Amino acid sequence: MGSVEKLLAKVRIRDLPRRRVCTVSRSTSLGEVYRLLDEEHSVAVLVCDDNDLVGIFTERDILNRTALEGHSDTPIGDLMSPIKGSLSTDDRLADAIALMHEGGYRHVPLPGSKGEKPGLVGGRDILLLIAEHYPETLLNLPPRLDQRMTTPEGG
Amino acid sequence: MLCPNCDTDNIPGVDVCEACGTELAGMDLPEARSGFRGKLLTARMGDLPVSEPVLVSPDDTVREAIERMREAQVGCVLVATDGKLVGLFNERHVLTRVLRKGIDVASTPVSEVMSPKPFELSPEDPPAFAIHSMVAYGFRHLPLVSQGKIVGYISVRNILAFLHDGVIADTAPAS
Repeated sequence: MGSVEKLLAKVRIRDLPRRRVCTVSRSTSLGEVYRLLDEEHSVAVLVCDDNDLVGIFTERDILNRTALEGHSDTPIGDLMSPIKGSLSTDDRLADAIALMHEGGYRHVPLPGSKGEKPGLVGGRDILLLIAEHYPETLLNLPPRLDQRMTTPEGG
Repeated sequence: MLCPNCDTDNIPGVDVCEACGTELAGMDLPEARSGFRGKLLTARMGDLPVSEPVLVSPDDTVREAIERMREAQVGCVLVATDGKLVGLFNERHVLTRVLRKGIDVASTPVSEVMSPKPFELSPEDPPAFAIHSMVAYGFRHLPLVSQGKIVGYISVRNILAFLHDGVIADTAPAS
């Protein structure tokens, strides 16, 4: 099992479970992106030309740029953010945390290569992997230390 | 689980010794370990760089709540009445409960679209509790409340910063 320090230095992005991520083209409308994000329980769409990643549009972009402005017919290519930082599947978890922390990103795209589809890594994916490695520290806990069961079985 | 008072072997997880009534709650929680794993259980969230709360009133409109989030560059606002936490409204709610439902942001109070009575933690709780709540329940933002007073909130970003400062910055080779 080892320490958290070793885990973050050893595990690669490719070892994380791939999260579902929606890819759209530049011409997809904002309204359609809203529908995809809602129905697919996704936090961002990746905007691609064929399989090449050209931009990203996240919940934060909605909050900051479209929530009060409308634009539902506008193509997402006019609203997306350019890719600022990205990771490869060979990068380590420590690299992902450093990039997210220093860049202030909550999700970092994986452009994909050699026929791989583009993907996305989120901070929660990293926390989930850490929790799965240390279940007795992070998962097998009562939600509150002061939680008390009223019967021996807790029922 | 042995009672430290009378040595009775109790069923793991019981709160009091079945023989002498000694309080046993919490005794079978995992022991703090060395290194960063220990810090997950022994640090206090109040000592982490938690996020400053941005507060709105339940009667404020959805538009006002969104504007406050924009101004503060945060992903959630805490909804409070007389300083008491009554709800939480975040950027996911903006999409799923406002834009997708066609809610009128200028006339709808935030109380109609917030999550009422959000799960909260204490600043005395360890970071392990926050990670547990985030991965087990999917919470993104956890208000920190001490004796009824809102002191901040913790997000995935704060936990990543804790990991970064406690592990990566400590172990990075000197350049």
